[in-house]
Amino acid sequence: MRVLPLGILLPDSTLDHTWFAVLSAFVAINTIMYTALALAKIAPKIYLSDLVHRRDRRTTNRSIHPAPDD
Amino acid sequence: MGRFHRAIGVVIFGGAVLGAALLAAAIVLTSPGARSRPDDGVLFGVWKIVYDTQAPSPRVVLAAFGLALVAAAGVALLERRITNRDRRSDRPDELPLAPKVVMRATRGVYAGPVTVTVLIPAHNEEACIGETIRSLQGQSMAPDRIVVVADNCTDQTPDIARSAGVEVFTSRGNTQKKAGALNQALTEILPGQGDNDLVMVMDADTTLDDGFLEAARRRMEDDRALMSVGGLFYGEEGKGLLGQFQRNEYTRYAREMKRRRGRVFVLTGTASLFRPRGLRVVAGHRGSLLPGVRGDVYDTLALTEDNELTLALKCLGALMISPAPCTVVTEVMPTWRALWAQRLRWQRGALENLGEYGVLPQTFRYWAQQLGIGYGVLALSSYIVLIALMVVSLDSWVWFPFWLGLGVVFSIERVVSVWKGGWRARILSALLFPELFYAMFLNVVYVKGVLDITLGSQARWKHVVVGDDHRKVRVSE
Repeated sequence: MRVLPLGILLPDSTLDHTWFAVLSAFVAINTIMYTALALAKIAPKIYLSDLVHRRDRRTTNRSIHPAPDD
Repeated sequence: MGRFHRAIGVVIFGGAVLGAALLAAAIVLTSPGARSRPDDGVLFGVWKIVYDTQAPSPRVVLAAFGLALVAAAGVALLERRITNRDRRSDRPDELPLAPKVVMRATRGVYAGPVTVTVLIPAHNEEACIGETIRSLQGQSMAPDRIVVVADNCTDQTPDIARSAGVEVFTSRGNTQKKAGALNQALTEILPGQGDNDLVMVMDADTTLDDGFLEAARRRMEDDRALMSVGGLFYGEEGKGLLGQFQRNEYTRYAREMKRRRGRVFVLTGTASLFRPRGLRVVAGHRGSLLPGVRGDVYDTLALTEDNELTLALKCLGALMISPAPCTVVTEVMPTWRALWAQRLRWQRGALENLGEYGVLPQTFRYWAQQLGIGYGVLALSSYIVLIALMVVSLDSWVWFPFWLGLGVVFSIERVVSVWKGGWRARILSALLFPELFYAMFLNVVYVKGVLDITLGSQARWKHVVVGDDHRKVRVSE
């Protein structure tokens, strides 16, 4: 039983060519790479600098109001 | 300056093509196996389906996964390193806006409380200027001064502005569009501004969300080395499906900015605040460290003057941020034709700016971004070609469970990233294919932009005029 009447333009054997195999592998690898990026975008973003002790914390007054020792 | 000019398109898109070609070559060398034959199966006991369990080997999956994540993390880490290096630098000749330099120059000096002067460049904006001014006056901490920069207006814009009680600056003999009009206004206004008398530039078709100015003022008060605060823009309601596509895009951009903790890509022309020192130093370095004419704040040759000013400030070491509360609602393009014109200008402007600045540490992120878009064009196009080939060649519809599974992951990402946009945004994203079509439209714009630059065709501004009924649209040049 055919689910949908497809395959009307090109013969089924088109998909057996080497270039089709290369194209489908290219698309496959890209799809996996973009899936990895999609997963990274779903996951909360972690900043390693939050987890370690920060040595570069601001030590000087940067406000527009001068500190007494400025 | 001017390291690439017309070659920029070829360099960027060529780079993306080279990447894709290398991947294809690697595939040919490892000779992919023959296509497997699909099997028949019965789903839920009634629905007969043809399916193909074909999936890449775990090694390939892991390698592709790793490559993508390493590339993304590499770009992010390098960008952080470059930003941190500039932030800690003390080289006044090369980076005159770096925090250490600015703090030394302003130590112990109180330049008065923070004030905000808003400049609204307007060219025939009678339909929206009133609403824009009202949104400013209604802010929890309203601006101290509002100036509508009327540029070659032939409609009621200046009158509406005056009747709303704000100042009107009329440009004189300006042929250089928005950037030219703003330069004239800034030449007059900047000399009277102290270090804390901030200048905000905002589009006439933009409405500030309440709290924008309060949050921006606080940031500028807390850090006298901070040179600019940029807005996060969301799309206005309406304009049907096309409007929803653009709103989704802006919602995702805003989410990305929050995940980046406000580290700026572009100080949007829709609404950004500047410390006068930043603008003065940029104007003083044009023609030497920066492109453009000495004395001009904006480069009048840039198609995307906001993007160019961002690069200029970054190249001089300026600190900037887009804080989460600083949101604005901006116009969405009402027709595909208007969107085409807008995006062609953005795309071309971004590429031209990059070509003008060349490869610098401060432009690294933008190069990576453009290469990413270029590669995305190739990836999405090849995906569509593959699907089309299979549809016209296979005798029966074949389901690929592995790839369907990945499709579900994509759908989830699309929905999660627009979650804040509401139900309509989520439903449109879950369908996946409409947004792929929209992405393809933007890809075609990208290719057209690259071609235009390469072939040297004349870039022109297009202006969208929205009538009183908010429906009549004219695109004039």
